[in-house]
Amino acid sequence: MLELGPIFRALLRNKVGALLIAVQIAFTMAIIVNSVFIIYERSQETKRPSGLDEANSFFISSSGFGENFGAKATIEKDLTDIRAISGVVSAIQINAIPVSGGGWSMSLQTEPGAEHDGVGTAVYMVNENGLDALGLELLAGENFVASDIRWRQNSESTWPDKVIVTKAMAERLFPDIDYGQSVGKTVYINDNEPMIIVGIIDKLQAPWVGWNNVENSMLSPEHQETDSVRYFIRTAPGQRDSTMKQVEELLAKNKERVVDGMRSIEYVRERSYRGHTAMIKILTTVIITLTIVTSLGIVGLASFSVNRRKKQIGIRRALGARKIDVIKYFMLENLMISGVGVLLGAGLTIALNMLLVKALSITPMDWFYIPIGMIVLCLIGQLAVYGPAKKATGIAPAIATRTV
Amino acid sequence: MLTMTNVKKVFRTDLVETHALRDFNLQVNEGEFVAVTGPSGSGKTTFLNIAGMLETFNGGSYVLDGQDVSHLNDNQRSKLRNEKIGFIFQSYNLIPDLNLFDNVDVPLRYRGFDAKERKQRIEESLETVGLANRMKHLPSQLSGGQQQRVAIARALAGKPRFLLADEPTGNLDSAMAQSVMELLQSINQSGTTIVMVTHDPQLAQQAARNIYVKDGQVSEVHDVLKMHVANA
Ligand SMILES: Nc1ncnc2c1ncn2[C@@H]1O[C@H](COP(=O)(O)OP(=O)(O)OP(=O)(O)O)[C@@H](O)[C@H]1O
Ligand SMILES: [Mg+2]
Repeated sequence: MLELGPIFRALLRNKVGALLIAVQIAFTMAIIVNSVFIIYERSQETKRPSGLDEANSFFISSSGFGENFGAKATIEKDLTDIRAISGVVSAIQINAIPVSGGGWSMSLQTEPGAEHDGVGTAVYMVNENGLDALGLELLAGENFVASDIRWRQNSESTWPDKVIVTKAMAERLFPDIDYGQSVGKTVYINDNEPMIIVGIIDKLQAPWVGWNNVENSMLSPEHQETDSVRYFIRTAPGQRDSTMKQVEELLAKNKERVVDGMRSIEYVRERSYRGHTAMIKILTTVIITLTIVTSLGIVGLASFSVNRRKKQIGIRRALGARKIDVIKYFMLENLMISGVGVLLGAGLTIALNMLLVKALSITPMDWFYIPIGMIVLCLIGQLAVYGPAKKATGIAPAIATRTV
Repeated sequence: MLTMTNVKKVFRTDLVETHALRDFNLQVNEGEFVAVTGPSGSGKTTFLNIAGMLETFNGGSYVLDGQDVSHLNDNQRSKLRNEKIGFIFQSYNLIPDLNLFDNVDVPLRYRGFDAKERKQRIEESLETVGLANRMKHLPSQLSGGQQQRVAIARALAGKPRFLLADEPTGNLDSAMAQSVMELLQSINQSGTTIVMVTHDPQLAQQAARNIYVKDGQVSEVHDVLKMHVANA
C-alpha cells in the first residue's frame, strides 16, 4: 500500500531539510544536464572529419630572404624535389591549413552587387594537385587543370575565374537545387567578380573549428608568388614521420631561407580542439563531483531522518510494517523530494541552457535531455537513499515499548 | 487464545546475561481481560513483547490463536501482528508528524484496506474514543489522556482479536487513568481479549483476572472474580 498522502503531509511538517535537498537536486540537475549536453556537442565536434587524409599529412613553412631569392623558381623546384621523395603521394603549395586556426576567408554570392549578402567561406589556394594532396573527393564537375593555375602576386586583388567549392558551400549558395546542379553556375567574389563553379568536393573544413561556417570552403586555382610559403604534403600510409624528416632536410639545403613550422595535421587538430578537450575534462569532473556531493547530501538527510525517526520506525514495525514497508517509506519520501527537485531542476536547466546559448553561443539543448535528466537524478536519489533505508529496517520493533 | 509454555528469554550483553523470562507459563482465553502486575524488571514488558511478537524468545513454545509462532519469519510476524494484535503503549507512541486521522490509518494501510474501508474504520474508532471531531489535529495538540485514546483508537481500528497494553495509564493522572480503564473494559466487553501490564493495583483489581510476574515467571494467578465470589 503506497502511503503517498501521509508521507507527503509528514514531509510538509519537516520541510526545511527536504527543501534544501530538493534545491540541491535542482541545481545539480541543471548543471549536470547542461554539462552532459555540452560534452556531447563538443565531443561530436572534435570527431568531425576535416576532409583531409589526416593521419598521413603534414605541412612545412619556409621564409626566403636575400636579394636573389626567387620565389617562383624556388617553389617549382621545391615541389619537384619533394614529390621525388619516395613515400610522398602529393605535395602542393597552400595558403592556409584546414583546422589549424589561421587562414583566409572570403564571401561568395549568387548575384553581383554590394547590396547582396554573401556566404562566408574559407579560401584555399591550390594547384591542380590540390585534390590529391588534400585527399579530397570530387563529387561533381571537374578538377582544375594545369593551365587554370595562375601565379598570384602579393598585391593581387582579383580572383581567378574558376572555383571549386565544398558540397556544404554549394548547398548554402544554392539551397533550392541539388548540389551537383550548381556546377557551371556563376558566383561572385568581392561583390562583383564572377567565378564559375567547376567542381564540388565532398568535405573540407575551414581553418577555424569554432566557426559556424566551418564546412564552407573554396579552392582557388593559384600559386602565391611570395617568399614565405607553406607546403602541404601527403604521404603513403605509415611514411609520414620519416618523410617529414627528409622534407625538412631537403628544404634546409637552401641557405637563403629559414625552414620552420613543420607540423603534422594530427598535431594541429589536437591543438585546435585542445579547448574542447579541456572543457570536456572540466565538465566531467564537475559532473562527478556534483553527483557525489548531492548523493552525500541525500544520504546525510536520510540518515539524519532515520535517526530522528527511530522510535517512529519501531512503532510502525509494531503496528505491522514489514521491513520492505520501511524501505518503501524512505524511498517514496525521497522520490517526492527528488520529484520536487527535478521539477525545479527542469526549469533551472532550461534557464541555464538559455543563458549558455546567449553567453557561449552554443546550440539550444534538445528537449529530451530534460526528461532523461529528471529520471537520472531521481535514480541517483533512490540509490543514495537505499543505504539509510536499509539500515532503518534494522531498528527493532521492541523500541516502541522499550523507550519512553 | 494465547498459550505460553516454558518460554525463556535471555538478553545477552558483553558483560551480563539477563534471564528476563524463565519457564514462563501462561494461558489466556478468548475474551479475557488479564492484568499483569509485578515488580520493576520482573519481565512484564518482555512477556508482552513476546506475546505481541515484537521480540523473539530463546526457548519454550508460544501458540497464538492456534498457531505456533516460534518459527515464523519477520514478514509473517509483521502480518500476524498487524492482523491480530493491537498495541497500546505507556507513552502513547503516536507519530508526531501525522494528524490523528493519519495516525489511526497507519496499521490499516499495512493491512492493505482500500481508502473507503480505512476511512470508515478510522472514523468509527475515533468515534469510539470520543475524538472524531479532532481528526485533523496533531498529537501535540492533545492532552495525554486524549493521546492515549487516539492510541487506543489506532489499536482498535484493525479490529484485532487481542489488545496488548503496557502500562497504558502510566503517564496519566488517576481520573484520566480511570476513564481509559473504562474504555478498555467496554472494548473487552465487546469481545476483544486484553492483556494489560500495570503498576496500579487499583486498576488491576478491575480486570477479571490478575497475574503476578516475579523474576521472569508467573508466580501467582489471582482470579479476581473468584476472589470476589469467595469474599462475598
Ligand atoms: N534489550 C535488553 N537488553 C538487555 N536487558 C534487557 C533488555 N530489555 C529488558 N532487559 C532486562 O530484562 C529484564 C526484564 O525487563 P522488562 O522490561 O521486561 O521488565 P518490566 O517488568 O517491564 O519492568 P518495568 O516494570 O520497570 O517496566 C530486566 O532486568 C531488564 O533489565
Ligand atoms: Mg515494563
